[in-house]
Amino acid sequence: MRTRAILGSILASASVLIVGYQAGTAVTTSNGSSISLPIGGTTAGSSGSGSSTSAAAPAATGPSDGTYTGASVNTRFGAVQVQVTIAGGSISKLDALHLTNADGRSVQISNYAAPILRSEVLNSQSTRVSNVGGATYTTQAYLTSVQSALDQAGA
Amino acid sequence: MTTQVRTRATNSHPQPAATNDYRRGYSRRARRSDLFVMMLWASGAAAAALFLASGGAAQFGSIAETLTSIGIITGLVGTDFILVMLVLAARIPLIDRTIGHDRAIAVHRSLGKPALYLLLAHGVMLLVGYGLSSGINPIAEIGPMLALPDMPLAFIGLGLLIAVVVTSVVAVRRHFSYEGWHLVHLLSYVSVAFALPHQLSVGGVLADGTVQRIYWIALYVLALGSIITFRFAEPLVSSLRHRLRVAAVTEIAPGVTTIQLDGHALRGLGASGGQFFIWRFWTPQTWWHSHPISLSAMPTESTARITIRELGAGSARLSAVPVGTRVSIEGPYGLFSEAARTSPKLAIIAAGIGVTPVRALLEHAAFAPGEATVLLRASTPEETYHWDEIRAIAEAKGAACYSMIGHRPRRGDSWMAASDVARGVTLETAFPDLADSDVYLCGPTAWLDLVEAEVRATGVRPEQIHAERFDW
Amino acid sequence: MRHTLETMGTVASIELPEGWSSELGAIAAIFEEIEQRFSLYRPDSELSRIACGELALAGASIELLASYSRALEWRSTTSGFFSPHRPDGVIDLNGIVKAEAIERAGAHLQAVGCPSWSVNVGGDILVSPTGEAQLVGIADPVDSSALLCSITLSGSRLALATSGSAQRGDHIWRGGSTELTHFVQVSVAAADIVTADVLATAIVAGGPEALDDVTGRWDVDVITVDRSGALRASPGLLRSLVTNAAA
Repeated sequence: MRTRAILGSILASASVLIVGYQAGTAVTTSNGSSISLPIGGTTAGSSGSGSSTSAAAPAATGPSDGTYTGASVNTRFGAVQVQVTIAGGSISKLDALHLTNADGRSVQISNYAAPILRSEVLNSQSTRVSNVGGATYTTQAYLTSVQSALDQAGA
Repeated sequence: MTTQVRTRATNSHPQPAATNDYRRGYSRRARRSDLFVMMLWASGAAAAALFLASGGAAQFGSIAETLTSIGIITGLVGTDFILVMLVLAARIPLIDRTIGHDRAIAVHRSLGKPALYLLLAHGVMLLVGYGLSSGINPIAEIGPMLALPDMPLAFIGLGLLIAVVVTSVVAVRRHFSYEGWHLVHLLSYVSVAFALPHQLSVGGVLADGTVQRIYWIALYVLALGSIITFRFAEPLVSSLRHRLRVAAVTEIAPGVTTIQLDGHALRGLGASGGQFFIWRFWTPQTWWHSHPISLSAMPTESTARITIRELGAGSARLSAVPVGTRVSIEGPYGLFSEAARTSPKLAIIAAGIGVTPVRALLEHAAFAPGEATVLLRASTPEETYHWDEIRAIAEAKGAACYSMIGHRPRRGDSWMAASDVARGVTLETAFPDLADSDVYLCGPTAWLDLVEAEVRATGVRPEQIHAERFDW
Repeated sequence: MRHTLETMGTVASIELPEGWSSELGAIAAIFEEIEQRFSLYRPDSELSRIACGELALAGASIELLASYSRALEWRSTTSGFFSPHRPDGVIDLNGIVKAEAIERAGAHLQAVGCPSWSVNVGGDILVSPTGEAQLVGIADPVDSSALLCSITLSGSRLALATSGSAQRGDHIWRGGSTELTHFVQVSVAAADIVTADVLATAIVAGGPEALDDVTGRWDVDVITVDRSGALRASPGLLRSLVTNAAA
């Protein structure tokens, strides 16, 4: 009977592993289209089975408008799960659903640089700045820059 | 030194069954046992497979990623093994009925080092893998890892596990008393508890709505639930229900004592002749030490009896417990009973204190006249306690009973008395139907090894041999 | 009071409080020393001599080796997106020495007890940890006379470095061929100027993948502009935007 136990164990274990591996390499979402999201971390946006909170038929070209919840991904800092809102064919909102408790590391994950509109930053321009940061200008280019104006004014 | 022979037929007294029934019963047990073995290995495979299924299969792109994934898998399988070890140590009745408590503990022991190695690999590989992907060396990676929540606890948990395994290695365990060793061993619960938080937060195996979550919750519930139920709740209920107390303590031979116990509804214990319980006598000197002792007679509704031999300080203290002492028990355990039958005939060999379970077994066993043979072995006439009872039962039930008193021959590997060896007594001459018998052996380890070897050599199949070694 | 001086191929704007103008000389000396050692535009600089083979790397000065080693560490942690090695094999420490110069100038000013200062070399800014929070603007890459936005620098964000593809080159060497960089300008606000400068360079070189990696692993704020003019910004940067409440 020991032979039976050994053979049975090998067979059962092998089948379980194969099934698991197959399930893992088949990439599908419940919407039928795979969405590659620019999510930071060590895994490159594995789109496993996700759930859609607003059902929308997948468009031929890209993800259609709606809110999509990605699969929970294991990163070094814990499980991360993000929810994106797509409006007008591009990402309009990105929320982190699952993060580990707040500490130095996990805050960095929620440091994701999201797309913003120019209008959001436009009204922050101030005339009271003391310095202007920009890509290194040559001495020539400096002369026509805002920094030059500031330096002349505040000398 | 009067003793009473309890051979009343009780309702639970089994009738001899047909040969086929015994074989069928054995096949059922064997199938269950094989199923358990398969489940053990499949659970490890499942732990890895669930990881692969939830996206892990795609995470073998770069060297760093592969190492990290292997690190995660070793952690999952290692934890799976630890939980299986808890299940094996929980004394679940079904497992005891199928493979016996002793064998369950043997499997538990054999999983210890592999589980530790897997978990050590888990730590090392993740450090190396994460270090590679962030471009810093693994030693430097320890710092950031400890800064993550729950990781310091996880490291401590691993340290405790190392302590538990190291102290369980035979060479180290020798230096500890049983209680001391057991105390360290209990730290394994602490280790499991300390490791759990990091599995939930950083490990991410309990993400909502995944099959992985269901699997691990089920495994934890099974492991911890079994421990709580069968190691704590059930013994507590049993002790409260049966209310055992010491009724009489009698010395029946130099260093051998019988303890008579009073209780209630003892037939409800469900003990089969030959099984043992784990006893705890509540006196200030003995409460912290538990002992596995077989019943030396079938219990009646209100009485039970055990026989103990002084092998050390612990058992010596037992012989001195006062009348009226409260007793709590866990059990019954063991396959040295009717439950293990595979064949129609019985061949029983017992030596010294080994007659204890045999005395209960013979009282309970089902056999027709002429189908059972008993051989009682002692080095000196002082070691023939309970022999009179056994002879009486044998006569009443039609079993043949031989006695063999005398020291073993100085030369050679014989287990028999020197005089009988000289006369030409062998296993075959004592037990003519050995091939069709369940062979029950009980006695000191060294002696029993010799007997078992000789029984095997006659061609008896392993499943027909039931051995209980009595001086661990 | 604002002072300007030409150095390292660009212009440095240094703001010092009343009565501290004498420190300008010390700062100029720091910049000059660095230029003498590291400038690839001066044939007699130490780095140039190493580039043409006249001097072996093993025989270089401690300061050069220290900068080189620091650049290599950054190369390691940014997975190669920042690298002191040009495709033609020359060691180019330009990406790190300018920031090191600002770092040293700042350290000097702190050491002499200057209460409030800012050092801006060619668009990379470091402000003093003491004194009030300072307002800085970020240039708009498409319009040199306009600002993209303004943020405050204080606390754990004392440095602002900006890297642009026009500065690093519109093309990056990736996988054996050149391709256009995804971002035309990247600004990083951090606690120190070297971190800010290196990461800004790494993000320009590595594109969106590097951006997510950097924001995930470092405590910095970022705002990026891509070829179509679209913006991406980290939440911390949005929080430090100056609202135009005052006149």
